[in-house]
Amino acid sequence: MKLKILQQVFQGLGNNKVRTLLTTLGIIIGSAMVILVFSAGAGFKSYIEAEIDSYGSNAVFIETRVPPTTQALANGVSESINTSTGTTAVAITSLKTRDVADIKRWPNVADAYGIVIGQKAAAYKGVKKNIMFWGSDPGRFQIDKGELASGRFYTEREELGLSQVAILGYELARDLFGEEDPINKIIRVGDLNFTVVGVYEERGGFGPHSTDNVVFIPLRTAQKKILGIDHLVTVIAQIEESDAAEATVEDIRAILRRNHNIDDPKKDDFLVQTSAQALNTLGAVLAGINFLLIAVAAISLLVGGVGIMNIMYVAVTERIGEIGLKKALGAKRSDILSEFLLEAVLLTLLGGVAGILSGAAMAFLVSKIAASYGLAWDYIVPLYGIIISVSISALIGIVFGVFPARNAAKLDPIQALNKE
Amino acid sequence: MLIKLENITKEYHNDDIATPVLKNINLSVREGEFLAIMGPSGSGKSTLMHIMGFLDRPTAGEYFFEGENTTNFTDDELARIRNERVGFVFQSFNLLPRTTVLNNVKLPLVYTHGKNIHGLAEKAIAAVGLGHRADYFTNQISGGEKQRVAIARALVNTPSVIFADEPTGNLDSKSGGAVMHILQELHRQGHTIILVTHEMDTAEHAERLIKIKDGMIMDDQPITARRIAEPDGAINK
Repeated sequence: MKLKILQQVFQGLGNNKVRTLLTTLGIIIGSAMVILVFSAGAGFKSYIEAEIDSYGSNAVFIETRVPPTTQALANGVSESINTSTGTTAVAITSLKTRDVADIKRWPNVADAYGIVIGQKAAAYKGVKKNIMFWGSDPGRFQIDKGELASGRFYTEREELGLSQVAILGYELARDLFGEEDPINKIIRVGDLNFTVVGVYEERGGFGPHSTDNVVFIPLRTAQKKILGIDHLVTVIAQIEESDAAEATVEDIRAILRRNHNIDDPKKDDFLVQTSAQALNTLGAVLAGINFLLIAVAAISLLVGGVGIMNIMYVAVTERIGEIGLKKALGAKRSDILSEFLLEAVLLTLLGGVAGILSGAAMAFLVSKIAASYGLAWDYIVPLYGIIISVSISALIGIVFGVFPARNAAKLDPIQALNKE
Repeated sequence: MLIKLENITKEYHNDDIATPVLKNINLSVREGEFLAIMGPSGSGKSTLMHIMGFLDRPTAGEYFFEGENTTNFTDDELARIRNERVGFVFQSFNLLPRTTVLNNVKLPLVYTHGKNIHGLAEKAIAAVGLGHRADYFTNQISGGEKQRVAIARALVNTPSVIFADEPTGNLDSKSGGAVMHILQELHRQGHTIILVTHEMDTAEHAERLIKIKDGMIMDDQPITARRIAEPDGAINK
């Protein structure tokens, strides 16, 4: 019996194809947003996880930071300025190679390496390019997951000997050398000549996260010959037992405080984070963005729902004669109610499905664009996104359809018939 | 007795002013009768048909249908009677637009638990001679055919009584005649038919004539000089 009523509904919707489409537009956009947000969110998460994973699992990041001033502390401001990007005028010089050595010796730490970062022009045979150079000791090659396309890593001996050897990022090698083999060729970085000993495979990444444009050189070479400093910007450590990660992070803080003569943790001139904590920080940012997008989607769905209600009121007015006739022919209140309610739910579900399809298509485009930037961005349409989207659509159909449907069901058959 | 009205009164209320439309109507209709209710507009004949057809409720009085007192029936019970035991034919056809003849005739069956909807609808369409039009849309057929579709729709639930409210009012005389022929044919097969009209010519197709004026039955007599409509719409007297 309900099936027969459903046929009635389909007939009604089919008779007004253009209007059906226009009515559901709000719902389509809303559901598309929901799917896009969930899908892009999942994709972004996969990218971030891959990114952090490329530093090695169980990685701990130690960065310098400007300790909050006494004034800022008094005001309750605890924000720190991250110096790893070199954007602050104040330079923190306390992070030293000695710290790395001490951290390395700690029981649960497998390995650790320090990094300095700078910017110079790199040139080969008249091709010139502004690049970032990373100075790091060879310990990095034990932890970092990057693999070489050709050549070799530099050695401990080269590190200690302040050798002018370099490993090039994939893109940089391509830009400077084109088809030519870079191995054992001499490039100029700033005022110095470096022998290229290795080239990385393409690693992807975006903007400051990309290492495809970076020149990797021994730490001491970078410190002494280019930068003229003896401190580090970042230390990355690998821990052995991830279960004890939190405790190890606390131990590392204690080592650094002892080495830097800090007795108040509030005055720390460094920041220690596990990759999980770094993920959480990013996750929080992501959740904020997601929340905003979901809010926009919710508004769109609400507007869509009002659109559905509006068109259902129109449909009831327009079909008063039809409703009267159906009642005269024996339709009960509940029959008319379910017919109009079903129509509203079907309309929104239709919009919901169309929205899911277009949202999935948009998310696919986003993943393709991300991939074209070399990001390890998975295309995922999470099932819970689809379930949420469909149930929200159906709910909106019921909520916004029930008032017009009740109006229709309450109509007096004679008055309705006479409206013809 | 199929229909028995006892002291049926209907009043409409407008700002506390009661306007009587039907006053103490007493009327009985036997099974198999072909009854015409005639009266000028405003006489209350339509209201009387609406009450007899369970589309409206009387203000006072009792209505017995097939021996059952329906006076205190709920809306849903009335809907069920309308669906299973009553058929309607309206002046303006009231067919669903952009819908096939077949689906229009099926409409009352949508609200019953019956089986073989398709077969019943086809049978009803054949009974009014429109088998060749079953898959046409209702806007593709003539006015006379539309009214025959409406009759098929009224027939499809094999009702106890068929109400026809000015069934020829929107038709030319020839197609009107064809419609009257079908109603007479249905009557001949044993159907009870109650025809509401303001035209004597149309009323004379029935067997019994009730004249109503100002909400009261003025006259109730058998029709002696009965008109007989031919299938092609020609009328013999």
